[in-house]
Amino acid sequence: MPRYVARRLGQAFLVVAGVVVLTFVVTRLLPGDPAVAFAGPKATPQQLAEARARFGLDDPLPVQLWNYVRDLATGDWGTSLRTRRPVLSDLYVAFPASLELVGAALLLAVLAGIPAGVLAARHRTRLPDLGVRVGGMLAVSVPVFWLALALQTVFAGSLDWFPVAGEYDAALDTTSPLTLWTNITLVDALITGNWPILTSTLRHLVLPAIVVAAYPAGVIAQMTRAALIEEGGQDHVRLERALGFGETSILVRFALRPALNPLLSLIALVFAYAIVNGFLVEAVFNWPGLGRYAVDAIAGSDVPAIAGVTLLVALVYVLANLVVDLLQGVVDPRARQR
Amino acid sequence: MRWHKRLLVAGVAGVVAMTASACAGGQVRGAGRTPQPSTGTSTGTSTGAAEAPAAKANDATFVYAPNLDVVTDWDPASSYSNEIIAMSNIYEGLTRYDAEARKPVPRLATEWTSAAGGKEWTFKLRQGVKFHTGAPLDAEAAKKAIERTMKINAGAAYIWGAVKTIEAVDASTLKFTLKYAAPLDLVASSGYAAYIYDTAAADKLKDGESDAGTGPYTIDTWQKGKETELTLKAFDGYWGGWKPEQYRKVAFRVTPEITTAWQLLQKGEVNFVPRLNPQLFAQAGATEGVQTSQKPSFQNLLVLFNTATGPAKDVKVRQALQLAIDYDGLVAALKGAGTKASGLVPEGLLGHVQGMEPKQDLARAAELLNAAGYGQDLEELKLTMTYAQGDEDQKLLVTLLSSTLKKLNVTLQAKPMAWNAQWDLGKKKGQDIFVMYWYPDYPDAYSWFLNVFKSADKPQFNLSYLKNAEIDKAIDALPQLSATDALAADQAYADLQKKIIQEQAAVAAPYVQTYQRALSATVQGYTDNPAYPNVVFFYDLKPAG
Repeated sequence: MPRYVARRLGQAFLVVAGVVVLTFVVTRLLPGDPAVAFAGPKATPQQLAEARARFGLDDPLPVQLWNYVRDLATGDWGTSLRTRRPVLSDLYVAFPASLELVGAALLLAVLAGIPAGVLAARHRTRLPDLGVRVGGMLAVSVPVFWLALALQTVFAGSLDWFPVAGEYDAALDTTSPLTLWTNITLVDALITGNWPILTSTLRHLVLPAIVVAAYPAGVIAQMTRAALIEEGGQDHVRLERALGFGETSILVRFALRPALNPLLSLIALVFAYAIVNGFLVEAVFNWPGLGRYAVDAIAGSDVPAIAGVTLLVALVYVLANLVVDLLQGVVDPRARQR
Repeated sequence: MRWHKRLLVAGVAGVVAMTASACAGGQVRGAGRTPQPSTGTSTGTSTGAAEAPAAKANDATFVYAPNLDVVTDWDPASSYSNEIIAMSNIYEGLTRYDAEARKPVPRLATEWTSAAGGKEWTFKLRQGVKFHTGAPLDAEAAKKAIERTMKINAGAAYIWGAVKTIEAVDASTLKFTLKYAAPLDLVASSGYAAYIYDTAAADKLKDGESDAGTGPYTIDTWQKGKETELTLKAFDGYWGGWKPEQYRKVAFRVTPEITTAWQLLQKGEVNFVPRLNPQLFAQAGATEGVQTSQKPSFQNLLVLFNTATGPAKDVKVRQALQLAIDYDGLVAALKGAGTKASGLVPEGLLGHVQGMEPKQDLARAAELLNAAGYGQDLEELKLTMTYAQGDEDQKLLVTLLSSTLKKLNVTLQAKPMAWNAQWDLGKKKGQDIFVMYWYPDYPDAYSWFLNVFKSADKPQFNLSYLKNAEIDKAIDALPQLSATDALAADQAYADLQKKIIQEQAAVAAPYVQTYQRALSATVQGYTDNPAYPNVVFFYDLKPAG
């Protein structure tokens, strides 16, 4: 196991290093002077020169790369040209909200996707199967932006069941201030027993979480169905059937377990994907996450912020896969040999 | 251990580790401020029993829904971005521009005079004004604020470029001596870099914990990155005093999506949406509980032709391009988001000229092109054009112009670009047509002429690369005329516009952007002042009834 962990960690490090270099090169190849983002659209030549000197933008590219890597290693992700704050501080404010949204969405996706997959596999080629397959196809193919606007218009605008936008009711900051421990509102509200913020956040979370969950739920349902159908042809299933177990019992008690391994990998992938996919959803629902920060950074040509978001998303991809690899190593010892 | 127990242990360990690593150490979000008593009656729809009235529209709180970050720079010296909306309510200048009267009106200065042909300015300061820090405003404090802004020399600090010395003659008299004549009363009304603030507190402003202004509102909370990013509260010691019906609290609820802002406005959760698309704006006009406001801004679109290199160097080609633009079609397609321009200077500024609205004339355009050696049955003319990426209005111009020019055997290669890239290319004379918006940092038409049309060896914003000594001389005379003789200045501006647009054909100005605002019908007293883009002066408002 230690060798397996070390190998996986080494691979993860190489991927992150590659992303760092690639991000740096791509952001520096963008046309235009990044100093404009800091000094303003009508900056004088002197102001632009000062900004370039301040951020080392006149240095040769290898020197800039070296400085960038050195700073990253010491926890300095640079200063945003737009917000004028350390990128890491900005990400620390924005990322937990995204994590909260995507975490809730994935929970929904798993809770809806796996039972739907089981249902489809249990009633293969019959109406429930068709329903799950069509539903899954729709969930995967509907653009999140459209789905977000539709749900918001119907369930918040017309029916008034849920709030239109926001993470929680802002007035609660005054009437029921939240003590931050993890910076994830839902978790902090739970830890500190702040029920007004907890209930408000849950109500605000429903619509955006459903939208972000749509794609992963569809994929998970399809994948679960396929894995269970494949598992249904295995010897152990025939034996369990011969022993008199019911079809549902066989699927849930015996076939689902071996099907979980590929599902874990899938969940890791869709987790990281959902963070980026959620950017548009965050914009529609005013969710104060990474999406708004990333969109503003791109619109403002804020190179350090763009690099910071890219690196963070890459880290999430790598970490999610690493965690799943390690979990698979724990769950299934055969995985360590692969 | 069985597999699911291992999984459970691994999962719990992971969650514990993540929580520990993410631990922020028990800060309190949004706290540390004076909680405001809920004095208002919510007009928004309450959606949950556990929820207190939100930072929603009520008679105590005005909620503004900006689409971008509210504050990126808290320093009143260097601030030069979206924060103008909040800063204009926290800080004040010596004067404020009245777009209806087309002149500056008193703010921290109650009266002013100019002498020596506009090279000396004396401002009398208002008595009894206090900074939010508690310090009194006097001439020495105002002098220090302006000198600090000039020294930092960031953002729009260049507006004080004419100032040679500032003298606090006595506690309430501030005297400026200028290097050259300039309308300092207009400069002092700028929305950027003209704030008077307590310099003793200036170094503590960066984190948005406090401010050093004299305005009616002061910072209540600032939570960078949050939906309700900023709240302001009334400054009790404001020199103008407070009436019971005024909004004493303001919240900025960042709403990037126009459709979301519209829904929030309809539900009464926000009071003011600075921009809707034309379709929603039309809908807003017919929606109960919502009122709309439409006003031409001081920002116009400039289509700058390359007078230095390439085919547009020929004035006949430039004139043909001017005549090829479908001005009426473009304004119609903008559906109210733009008003046809008349000259270079928007209405509401000294120098605006009536009767200079451009017109499309394809027959004359074809003649001019033929005379330049291009057109049908002659050589094909290929032109490059750059415009702002993501700007739908500019894209409309490009689409219309491309199709019109095609009929004249002119191929337009238009490229949408981010501003910094477009500007970089422009400074290298890398295109035939450069499209950009221009707006003045203080309400003075001089900004267009000095920046965009005065000769420059290394072009900054002179992206038509016009070089004309006669025009330069006329531009140099403008500040003194504005400072001493408004009528003569008006005429000089009119003459210059004719030279630049008609004789030199260096530019086409198709439209002036129109502000389309939507606000709650319950809000009274709103007036759009184009000199302060997107700014709402909350102090002037009150809820109906």
